[in-house]
Amino acid sequence: MSGLWSYMFSKTEFHVLILGIDKAGKTTFLEKLKTIYSISEGLPHDRIVPTVGLNIGRIEVSNAKIVFWDLGGQPGLRSIWEKYYEEAHALIYLIDAACPTRFEDSKSALEKALRHEDLQGAPLLILANKQDLPNAVSAEELDRYLDLKKLDERVYMFEAVSGYDGRGIKESIEWLVGVMERSKRTETLRARAGYTPVPNS
Amino acid sequence: MGILFTRMFSSVFGNKEARILVLGLDNAGKTTILYRLQMGEVVSTIPTIGFNVETVQYNNIKFQVWDLGGQTSIRPYWRCYFPNTQAVIYVVDSSDTDRIGVAKEEFHAILEEDELKGAVVLIFANKQDLPGALDDAAVTEALELHKIKSRQWAIFKTCAVKGEGLFEGLDWLSNTLKSGSG
Repeated sequence: MSGLWSYMFSKTEFHVLILGIDKAGKTTFLEKLKTIYSISEGLPHDRIVPTVGLNIGRIEVSNAKIVFWDLGGQPGLRSIWEKYYEEAHALIYLIDAACPTRFEDSKSALEKALRHEDLQGAPLLILANKQDLPNAVSAEELDRYLDLKKLDERVYMFEAVSGYDGRGIKESIEWLVGVMERSKRTETLRARAGYTPVPNS
Repeated sequence: MGILFTRMFSSVFGNKEARILVLGLDNAGKTTILYRLQMGEVVSTIPTIGFNVETVQYNNIKFQVWDLGGQTSIRPYWRCYFPNTQAVIYVVDSSDTDRIGVAKEEFHAILEEDELKGAVVLIFANKQDLPGALDDAAVTEALELHKIKSRQWAIFKTCAVKGEGLFEGLDWLSNTLKSGSG
């Protein structure tokens, strides 16, 4: 009984991976998230240095706890991304929307990630970041540019955000929480962790 | 009252103190790193039996840095220093590929420790000047850093005798400790 009780009333903990190539703005985005959703102030953007490892952010939204894993995006460090796939409920992929010369690099790194079987069925949120810059392309333009194939099976969305001024972030996270709560992958991960409720107990 | 006042004063002006442990196998370069950070010069060192402790003031944080001897026989004493530690700097001799497996085992044993649960982890892939030194990606792989999922970590290529990479690491450390996320 107590198992069922805690199952029903405990907050679900989701793991969300934040990926993207270097300079996409992943850590700035994470710090903005912390500022928006928690009492503690995230780091100001001018203090953020390139990530060579793992940054972690924990927030609570409505009835969900989310742990964000922000991994370094430099080419040499991308090999560790896949080690975090298996336990991730969803993927946020950031792209610097104001830097078209690197769209191709972004696209191939994303496609590589999506081909990995450990990310199967993980909801995908693609963020056209740096909307505060005047030359940033819109989410629709980025969608058209990336022209990602084989996304039909996967729940995904494009959203325009700015990790600098915070626009678009709340809408993005709300969408993400909603789809994670309904996603099959969440059930699978929960079952694997042994939280399956026993019927009639 | 005096202590309380001092604490309030330093919190207003952003002066923080942090207790940092420098760990790693013997001959990884821990003591050289400590004195490079503290005095900005290379001192000639002998194998540490016991510990060296120095205070390093950087970015408004007073780092109390403990350099513990790394030889096999004295590694069991590391745990005496674990309580109240905010960060661990783990130093690896990147050119010592024979012992990188041992370095990995010791590293993950440290992370298992309850008293270090909240500590952030900074890895120095040291001795980058030596031929055959593994780079940061290779050391990441060898130490299996990806197994760390509930605390922040970062790796920096360093060369303690030239002073390279050390302060970049401390920058990361002070940012991470200031943002208060462990």
